Amino acid sequence: MTDVRAPETDPFDPAAEPDDPPRPDPASPGGGAFGPADWLRWVWRQLTSMRIALVLLFLLALGSVPGSMLPQQGTNPAGVQQYFTSHPALAPWLSRLGLFNVFGAPWFAAIYLLLFVSLVGCVVPRTFRLAGSARTLPPRAPRHLARLPRSAEYATALPPADAVEVAARVLAGHGFRLRRPAPPADRADPADDGHWVSAEKGYLREAGNLLFHLALLGVLVSVALGGLFGYKADRLLVQGDTFADTVSALDEFHPGRFVTAADLGPFTLTLDTFDASYISSGAQRGQPSAFDARISYTEQPGAPVRTGHLAVNSPLSIDGAKVYLIGHGYAPVFRVTDARGQVLYNAATPFIAGTSGNFLSEGVVKVPDAQPEQLGFTGVFVPTAVDVGGTLESVFPAADYPVVSLIAYAGNLGMNTGAPQSVYQLDTGGMQRLTANPQLLLPGQSLKLPGGRGTITFTGVVPWVSLAITHDPGQLPALICGIAALGGLLLSFMIRRRRVFVRARVAPDSRPGSTVQVGGLARTDASGGFEAEFATLAAELRSAHEQAGPHQSAAHHQSAAHRQQEGE
Amino acid sequence: MPVNVALGHVSNAFLVAALVFYSLSVVAFAGDFAFGRPRRAAATRGQQAQDRAAALAAVGAAGRAAAVPAVPAVPEAPAVPGAPAVPGAPADGPASGPAGGGDSMPELAVPALRAIGEAGRWVQTALALSLAGVLAHTVSVVTRGLAVHRAPWGNMYEFVTALTCVAAIFFLFVMIRYRAWTLGVFVMGAVVVTLGLAETLIYTAAGDLVPALQSYWLDIHVTAMTLATGIFFVAAVLGCVYLWVDRYAKRVAAGRAAPGNGIIQRLPSIEQIDRLTYRTIMFGFPVWTFGVIAGAIWADQAWGRYWGWDPVETWAFITWVLYAAFLHARATAGWRGRRAHYIQLLGFASLTFNILVVQVSIAGLHSYAGVS
Repeated sequence: MTDVRAPETDPFDPAAEPDDPPRPDPASPGGGAFGPADWLRWVWRQLTSMRIALVLLFLLALGSVPGSMLPQQGTNPAGVQQYFTSHPALAPWLSRLGLFNVFGAPWFAAIYLLLFVSLVGCVVPRTFRLAGSARTLPPRAPRHLARLPRSAEYATALPPADAVEVAARVLAGHGFRLRRPAPPADRADPADDGHWVSAEKGYLREAGNLLFHLALLGVLVSVALGGLFGYKADRLLVQGDTFADTVSALDEFHPGRFVTAADLGPFTLTLDTFDASYISSGAQRGQPSAFDARISYTEQPGAPVRTGHLAVNSPLSIDGAKVYLIGHGYAPVFRVTDARGQVLYNAATPFIAGTSGNFLSEGVVKVPDAQPEQLGFTGVFVPTAVDVGGTLESVFPAADYPVVSLIAYAGNLGMNTGAPQSVYQLDTGGMQRLTANPQLLLPGQSLKLPGGRGTITFTGVVPWVSLAITHDPGQLPALICGIAALGGLLLSFMIRRRRVFVRARVAPDSRPGSTVQVGGLARTDASGGFEAEFATLAAELRSAHEQAGPHQSAAHHQSAAHRQQEGE
Repeated sequence: MPVNVALGHVSNAFLVAALVFYSLSVVAFAGDFAFGRPRRAAATRGQQAQDRAAALAAVGAAGRAAAVPAVPAVPEAPAVPGAPAVPGAPADGPASGPAGGGDSMPELAVPALRAIGEAGRWVQTALALSLAGVLAHTVSVVTRGLAVHRAPWGNMYEFVTALTCVAAIFFLFVMIRYRAWTLGVFVMGAVVVTLGLAETLIYTAAGDLVPALQSYWLDIHVTAMTLATGIFFVAAVLGCVYLWVDRYAKRVAAGRAAPGNGIIQRLPSIEQIDRLTYRTIMFGFPVWTFGVIAGAIWADQAWGRYWGWDPVETWAFITWVLYAAFLHARATAGWRGRRAHYIQLLGFASLTFNILVVQVSIAGLHSYAGVS
């Protein structure tokens, strides 16, 4: 790995790092007149130095940590709210630092953007250098090949010129780039007897390295592309319901900066049935074993209705968007009549499963049109209910023995105040509780409200699914860049850039033939193996020389001689 | 298809057998340190070559330091200008490069079987036991897979048994390839401890998977992650050995320890351990990268986005960044050697944290550990 001639100018410079060519070591702005241009240059040098890149990598890793330890706005908004209520003093500060949205925070962006600027500042010059070195020939063979990390020496019956010719053929056959001596007139050093060949191979290593880094840049660009031109939407859909893919029909819509409502595909989708099956016995009892949603959809108004399946791990592509099954739950169906006996509410009401498992779910029913007062109910739905010491517990996630437990309220639902309300929460501030204890209802059972205020009937239960609808134009570019990065990585790890030199000199003692010296060095050989490659190559050169040589008894003699030489 | 309970029991029995074989192999590796006769032919020759290599490397380093003052000695760079071919080095190859402290490990010229033959009873016993352990371990993993009709790494217990199997197979290969018997006690010891902890703390009976995991991407993504983790596991143990040897060398240099520590003297040279670790991580890093990409594709299939900073994704990213930092640190003056190894150990720590803490106790989409 050393070059004995001119280490400071040769790219095989021993100072070069094993994996990457030297990034300039930042010079200090200490002495002399240091103008703005010098400062800029100094900052640029600092930024593109490997040391700073290393520091930025650390910061990137360190900066990601709070993103996993604290609830994040994007993935867990409820968790963020909960954090605010449980840590009222700390949370605002964390929020100000962007710690609830780490991966969108300016400081996090600063880290990765600086890292990528550093990467570009390092990679672009290297690309030019690689292009340059691909155009220039390998260096001249050093005088003393035995000083190279790998070397071999043997005698051959061929005269020096022929020996080098044969060696050049062998090396060219292995795909090496060759350099032969210039014509004698141009020779700088007359002592150079001129029988040599230089060979170099493995430019793809550096190309792979560059490809890897550029592909990472491509991944970043793809992610940005998806963020600007993609969207993500959610919709909760009760079995039997239909929705059209419009902004008003979606529960949540997170468009990219350049996405408008018009970019949504004009499809409609109906959830025909949803089945969840669960393991019913053994240690894994209650664990889901399969989900299947049967849907029918039209790609655009007037198009024929198609049917399909949605399952976990198997999304459906409709008109450029993808529809995913990401969750499910139960929607008990309630019928509410008010004091006048009018049916004011008759609908499946999605309840949301809590954390206690087995789909013990909570939800609310709001009946704003009820007379004389508005009615509201908070409820708990238990798919397979068992009474454990007075409290209901769910022992199995399937709706085998469904029970709802309701608390009724009457009064002002507060829906006209203008403040947005969640459909899953009841603001009981302006309401009076009508039932002291939660009332249990089985399917078909009714609860008569006190004071003749009306009746609520639990008529049955249907499943709901939550769907994610996404469109991400950065997906394919990101995948391509990811694969390119991996390919570049493999190239740069598996290929070594190496040089092999062959020199032939007239044999000593004025014997016929010549002495062949083979030398080799690998600039980087981190994955090992150059030793073996060189040995094979040297053996091949030798046998080529032996085959090409005049078959005389002298050849045997010399063969013995070289063995002696080599063994010394 | 229902779980084949009987086959699950067979798998468990083989795992216990593997644990026993591994434990005995650790004892035998340790016995080699304690009672193994100094290996006459190979060992002395190897030791001489090592000493010589160390001396030459020092010369080379000094020479280079003179030429390029700002750069400290690089263990990677052999740099043995002017060294003649080494007498006593194998003369039967056509090439006899100087056996620098660099690329060559002199004992590599001896065929593996002959090297094992010369390594002594204790090492031979230890190798045989390791091999028996690896076979039993592999049978255990395979029968578990047959019992549950899927890739047998669907929960944390299965993941740990599979990754230790990868680590054992990979290390067995490394040990024979590089004649690194003396490292066996450390790596196999770590395998025994990890496997034993998994067996006692997080044992999970063979069972079915939740629908989210019922995908052929389990075979691709988790297999890659298992392989990479097993490889990084070996690198982490080697990194610890490196730091230990390095610290000892520093103490010797400071005159606070005698240079004659029996165990350390018989370990491969610090440069060799360093290079072995580097190569191991170079092998593991692309596998990890592939695993992350495969995971992203699966996440896109399952959750509608290829990257969402789910806690497990975040920690996989942190791990990737730290191992990338290790690869860059080895190329940065002042960061090679000890500091680089701290970085890779940090990478392995984040990997372990991801498996043991994030997947178990931080709510996220990847909560499949099956540990209660």
